[in-house]
Amino acid sequence: MKRILEYTWIILVLLTIFAYLLGYMKYINTSLIALLLFTTLIKGELVIDYFMGLKDVTFKYRVIPIAWLVFVISSIAYAYYIPI
Amino acid sequence: MSNHLSSREKYPPGDFAIWIIIYVELITFGLLFLGYIFSRRANVELFNSSQLVVSQTSGFINTFILITSSYFVVKAVQYMKNMTEQNYKESNIKASKWLLFAIMCGITFLIIKITEFSHIFGLGIHLSTNKFFMFYLFLTVFHFLHVLLGTGILYIIYKKTKVYGYTADDYKGFETGASYWHMVDLLWIVLFPLVYIIK
Repeated sequence: MKRILEYTWIILVLLTIFAYLLGYMKYINTSLIALLLFTTLIKGELVIDYFMGLKDVTFKYRVIPIAWLVFVISSIAYAYYIPI
Repeated sequence: MSNHLSSREKYPPGDFAIWIIIYVELITFGLLFLGYIFSRRANVELFNSSQLVVSQTSGFINTFILITSSYFVVKAVQYMKNMTEQNYKESNIKASKWLLFAIMCGITFLIIKITEFSHIFGLGIHLSTNKFFMFYLFLTVFHFLHVLLGTGILYIIYKKTKVYGYTADDYKGFETGASYWHMVDLLWIVLFPLVYIIK
């Protein structure tokens, strides 16, 4: 795909606008938080693959930031959803 | 497609040492993010009320700026990747233009953050005000310092492109700086919803 970087930037901006609009809601329910975290995961993945350029490198190098991202987002979800 | 293009590159772009730094930075910030979210879990009301003081709009604008700057940097990297011995001067010039836009984004980010910090400090808020502000200030000031360093690195690369310092055989330094900048962007992508949005 020729314009992959441009598409990546557009998706990142749209998902950021979505997060911003969500921030203006007085109460964000758990489904929307899940969606917000999922979109954050997508954004991070896009940066790792297309901006950092890790899509085409050996998997062992690519997996480290991806595992970090998945772990951090999962931990945020866990801390948010699991009652004290 | 040539074998060179179709086969998977072995190492990440740039000097391998920068990737060690990037992985360490990710772990460091990851621990701070965990500290924030688990402290929030124990003090939800405090975090939600304190969060109202910070500006979501400046957080959003800064996210937009960093994403866009990362795009500018990766466009500059493309000129390095497509460089040949014949067009290296032209490639350096074009890359420098994209880098200049990225540097301007970095400076704008820093100015917005300084304004935000001035507002926060003006309200008499500091690290020991409460747990939210302790994490908020620690995370955002720490990230601010990374943007400051990243902008400085981009400027050094920019200066080198102005004297056609990168060639088709030697642009690893360029990719090294670019990788650091993308890490700064990645960290903010997680920080923004965590500190400014989730409540």
